[in-house]
Amino acid sequence: MIGSHPKQHRTFRRALLIARGGLVAALIVGGFGCHHRLKLDELPADQIETTLFLIGDAGEPDPRQVGAPLDSLTALASVAPERTIIVFLGDNVYPAGIPAEGAAEWADARRRLDAQIKAIPPGVRGIFIPGNHDWANETAFGLYSIRLQEQMIASLAQGKNVRLIPGNGCPGPVPVDVGRMRLIALDTQWWLHSYIVRDSSSQCPASTMATVTAALRSDVNPPGDGRVVLVVAHHPLMTGGAHGGYCGVTGPYRRFGASSQDILSGANRTMRDSIRSAFTGHAPIAFVAGHDHTLQVLRGGPTVKYILVSGAGSPGKTECAVRMRESYYVTQHRAGFMRVDIMKGKGVLLRVYRYPATKSGALAYARWLELR
Amino acid sequence: MIAVKCVARNAYFLMLCRRGMIIAAAIAAPSIAAAQITGPLPIASEEATPLGALSPMPLPMPASRDQSYWGLRLQVGQRNERKGPEDLFAVAAGVDYQLRGGSIFGLTGGYQTRQNCQSSTDCGHALFGARGRFNVFTGGPTVAAIVGDESATTTLGTEIGFGYAPRVQPGVNACTLDVGVPFSVAMLQTVRVVGFVTPGAVWNIDCSSENTPGNRSFLIGFGFGLQQVGFRGLDVNFGAQRILRGATGLQFGVSVSWVRLP
Repeated sequence: MIGSHPKQHRTFRRALLIARGGLVAALIVGGFGCHHRLKLDELPADQIETTLFLIGDAGEPDPRQVGAPLDSLTALASVAPERTIIVFLGDNVYPAGIPAEGAAEWADARRRLDAQIKAIPPGVRGIFIPGNHDWANETAFGLYSIRLQEQMIASLAQGKNVRLIPGNGCPGPVPVDVGRMRLIALDTQWWLHSYIVRDSSSQCPASTMATVTAALRSDVNPPGDGRVVLVVAHHPLMTGGAHGGYCGVTGPYRRFGASSQDILSGANRTMRDSIRSAFTGHAPIAFVAGHDHTLQVLRGGPTVKYILVSGAGSPGKTECAVRMRESYYVTQHRAGFMRVDIMKGKGVLLRVYRYPATKSGALAYARWLELR
Repeated sequence: MIAVKCVARNAYFLMLCRRGMIIAAAIAAPSIAAAQITGPLPIASEEATPLGALSPMPLPMPASRDQSYWGLRLQVGQRNERKGPEDLFAVAAGVDYQLRGGSIFGLTGGYQTRQNCQSSTDCGHALFGARGRFNVFTGGPTVAAIVGDESATTTLGTEIGFGYAPRVQPGVNACTLDVGVPFSVAMLQTVRVVGFVTPGAVWNIDCSSENTPGNRSFLIGFGFGLQQVGFRGLDVNFGAQRILRGATGLQFGVSVSWVRLP
C-alpha cells in the first residue's frame, strides 16, 4: 500500500503536492484565457454598422418544411434588414448544382435554391458564393452549371437584392464595400476544377492564378482607416473536419486519395498558399468558408487573424470535426450559422448559433474579433 | 511457488479457465525466466529508461495540416511501492516535433535518482529516449454522443520508443524498446480536459558490457490533463503507470509541454 512506510509516505505526499500545485497553477493561468468574454445584453443595437450572416453548404434544405437553421436565420436577419447581409458560402445546390433545363433533377435543384432565397427577408442583401457542388459536383458541366445558377438566382430574387459573386464562372476577387467593411468574394472551386474554367464569353478581370493573387493582394488593402476586411469563399484555409484529414480511420491517409477538395492535396495547398501570400502584410480580420459541414472558429496565424468555417447550413449533412490547437470553438453534428456585427468606429463581434438549441438558447459562442 | 488449478462446473468453463492460464503463463514467462537466470535486479531496465521513469502523456492535440510545430516538454516521475529498498525520482526535458498536425517525434534527456540511497556512489544515472507517436484515428462523434459533449475528440494512435540509461548499476546499462496503443478523449470548450490510457509492451534489450537478460513486460499508463492552459500551446498532464510485473511499484508524475505556434 502506498504510504505504509514513513519514507514512502513522505515521497507520496511530496508527489501529491507537486500534482496539486501544478493543477492549481494550471487553473489560475487558464483564467487568463477568458479575456474575450463579453456581455451581449449591453451591446447597443444602434452602434452596429453592418450585420453579416454567414451560412454555408445550405443546398440541402428539407423538402417538406423550412426548419432551422434557415428559419432562425430569417428571423434574426429581419430585425434590421437595412444593415444586414446574408452570405451563402457555397454548395448552394446539392448534389451537382443546376442541371440543364429539362433534366429530371432541374425542378429539385430549383427548389433547393429557392428555399435559400426565400430565407432572405425583404430589404436584406443576399450574396451567394459558388462551391464545388455548384460546379456540377466538379464535372465538365461545372462552368455552365455555375452560370445557370447565377441566372436562376436572378430570376428567383424577384426584386430582392440577391446575386451570385463572382459571376460568370470567374474566380474573383470581387470586393464589396459597406461602411468600413470590405467583403471580398472568391470562387475557390475555379482553382481546383479539373475541367474547363473559361471560354470566349468569360471575360474575367483576372483569369490566371497569378493575376487573381495579385488582385487579391490589392483588394485586401483598401483605402481608409479602420477598415474591416473579410474574405469569403467556399474552401477553408484550415479545418479540423473531414476535408482537413480528420474524422474516420482514413482521415490522415486522404492525401493519398489526391482529392483536390481536401486540405492535404497538392492543388488545394497551392491555392491556399497563393491566397495566404496575397494576405502578407495586410492580414484580413477573417477568412470565412464552408465546405466542411461544421462550425469552427480558428486562429489563422500571421497572414489572417481568424479562419471561420460555417458549413453547417443543412441539418442532414452535418459532420464530425475535431478541436485543433488553433481552434477557439468547434461544434460537430450540429446545424447552424455565424453572425458578424461590425460596430461603428471600432469593434467586430462574432456570434455562433447552432441548432437544435440548448436550454440556454441557440447562441453557442461569441468573441470580439476586433476589440471595441 | 504458487499452484493454481482450474475448477469449473462444466467442460466449457474448464476449457476457458485452462486457456486463460495458458495465456497468463505465456505473458508471465519471460519475466519469470529472467528472474530465474539472474534474480531480480535492483532497478529494472523498464524503470530506468524514460518510458518507465517518467509520467505517461496523452497523444498530441491535433493541429493544422499546414504547419509543423516544435515543442518543449518537462516531465517528472516518481516510482513508489517497489520491492527494492529505494524509490526512484526522475526529471527530464524533451523536444518534440509535431508533423502536419498529427504524428509527433520526440527526444528526451533526464536524470533519475534513487531516494534514500545508501551507496556513496551510483545513486543516480542519466536517461535518454526517442519516441514516435502516430495518430491513427482522430474523430469525435461516437464518444461525443456518449459523454454528451459535442466538442469531444477521440484519438487512437500507435507509438514506438527507444530508451537508454547508462550505468544503472556498475557495468549495467539499460536499453528498452517499447510499442504502445495510446488512446485519449478530450472534451469541453473553455477548459479542455483530456483523459488518456497508454497500454503497451516493452522489451529489455541487452546493451551492457555484461550479459544481461532480455525480457518483455506489459505496462499500462493512464491519467488526465488540461490542454491549452491559458496559452494555446501549453498543456499540463498528470499520469500514473504500472509495469505489469512484480517489484516495479507504481509510478506517477506530472508533465508540462509547450508547443510554439506561429
